[in-house]
Amino acid sequence: MSDLGKIKDSLISGDTEKTEALTRAALEAGVAAKEILDKSLVPGLDEVGRKFQAGEYFFPELLVAGEATKAAMACLKPSLSSGGATTVGKYVIGTVKGDIHDIGKNIVIMMLEGNGWDVTDLGTDVPADQFCQAVKDEACQVLGLAALLTTTIPRLVETIEALKASGLRDKVKVMVGGVSVSQDYADQIGADAYGRDAFEAVVKARKFIGKS
Amino acid sequence: MNGLQRMHKVLKLEEPDRVPHFEFLIDKKVRNGIKPGISAEEIIDYLDIDGIGVGDKGSAHRYTPIDEAKKVYRDQWGAIVKFSEESAGIPTEPAIKSDSDFDNYVMPDPDEDWRYDNLKKAVQRLKGEKAIFCGVTDVFDIVKESFLGDIALFTDLIRNPGLVHRMSQGVLDYQLKYITNCAEAGADFFFINGDYAVTNGPMVSPKMAAEFLMPYLKPIVDHVHKLGSFCFKHSDGLLWPLFDLIVATGVDGIHPIDPEAGMDMGEAKARYGDKICLLGNVDCGPLLTWGTAEEVRQSTKECLRKGGKGGGLICMSSNSIHSGVKPENYMAMVETIHEYGQYPLEDRFDNLVIPGSGKWS
Repeated sequence: MSDLGKIKDSLISGDTEKTEALTRAALEAGVAAKEILDKSLVPGLDEVGRKFQAGEYFFPELLVAGEATKAAMACLKPSLSSGGATTVGKYVIGTVKGDIHDIGKNIVIMMLEGNGWDVTDLGTDVPADQFCQAVKDEACQVLGLAALLTTTIPRLVETIEALKASGLRDKVKVMVGGVSVSQDYADQIGADAYGRDAFEAVVKARKFIGKS
Repeated sequence: MNGLQRMHKVLKLEEPDRVPHFEFLIDKKVRNGIKPGISAEEIIDYLDIDGIGVGDKGSAHRYTPIDEAKKVYRDQWGAIVKFSEESAGIPTEPAIKSDSDFDNYVMPDPDEDWRYDNLKKAVQRLKGEKAIFCGVTDVFDIVKESFLGDIALFTDLIRNPGLVHRMSQGVLDYQLKYITNCAEAGADFFFINGDYAVTNGPMVSPKMAAEFLMPYLKPIVDHVHKLGSFCFKHSDGLLWPLFDLIVATGVDGIHPIDPEAGMDMGEAKARYGDKICLLGNVDCGPLLTWGTAEEVRQSTKECLRKGGKGGGLICMSSNSIHSGVKPENYMAMVETIHEYGQYPLEDRFDNLVIPGSGKWS
């Protein structure tokens, strides 16, 4: 098996130490950081996502794979920056006002970062004007809005309306997610995408920037 | 037949005079929308509800203020918890960050009298007439939310399982004592709150559930039975892959057969209706929040039709009557249970049909 294949496999099995060591060794052997990202980490996380969606992996397996990816990304980052290849895109995310749940959001962040996104986490209980300010300040391509409670779902539409009122709506793609959110609701409020789970969120975010 | 008698009857999987109903929480906003100023105890008689829920998090756990203006508190396990206008407290910083933190950890004292004040109030007012349910937060939930935080807990299940077991045993010891005290104070039934699943499926594999969840649920169920009481398990989410494991602990009922996760009361009845009581499953998400009273009536009738045959059903919402529920929708649900939940159900439904086989395995 190639070194890139071994990195991918160790990531899928959630072995952080091995993933980190193999990534360092590959870099020292002259493999480009971008190649490790594209051929090991991204396909590795895709496989983790497939297993999660198929009911073979659950939160624990998912999270240790995420830790392994994070360790590998930390090794790659200096080389990615110096090689001119920065991140694939900028993503701002937060849980809407009134809602302080964050596990789903945190898993989405982990998966996005593992796929090379630069993510700004606004945290929980975030008011609409703070989302607007972040879109302005961060010049992000995608804004992710999470709402777990039925009672806070209306904050999603309020945030989209606030983006319109600030003249920012056409500058950013808006993705929504959360237990009570659905594709129908996302369509109804004019969101650009709905992420059923963290992996769907990553796949749809990739499409926004022209990567499949 | 009173509310308590109805509950006992359905627990024997027999038909009472009508399908019983209760909610673990009926939010103040909803109560005020039904009758301004009515208390949690008064609404039980006012709407002829069959039982009342007394939760441990809401009345038997200590919260020490850190920043009251920002609604930030320390919970009794040591976690920092933030409340919002719309939700109960969510831990934002866990109590335990390393094995050594737990080496010196001192559990709270379940024997403090004040913990049972709310329960005693309900007992004084309703004992013998209505069913008094005590909420007990699941051991897994406390370890996940307050001790380690969810991300650390899930990774520790693989990387540091010994620590998870030590914490779980500590919380279990606390909860067993708490249950004994509640039973002595007059609780009729116990409701083990805490999710094992999310909308898409269980949080952990069935193998991990058998190793880390059930060993701390079963002793609670056994203890409750030893005290001569009954025990129900609540978990939101798509629970089918864990259902057999939960039933095998000996629980007397499972709530809520989550409709938002695609779980169907008819399938639960067909598969488990001869073994346990089913509790649920009128959707408190979009339906009770935004639906019309007529839609609520239809859905409540469906729940009664699918789950009520032969007894064994407590008709409830799929989680709670939270602040977003329209008061008129909750009223429609209760009225429908009272009208269409009268036994024999065959007199009210032409097609009281239970599905022969499930679509899941």
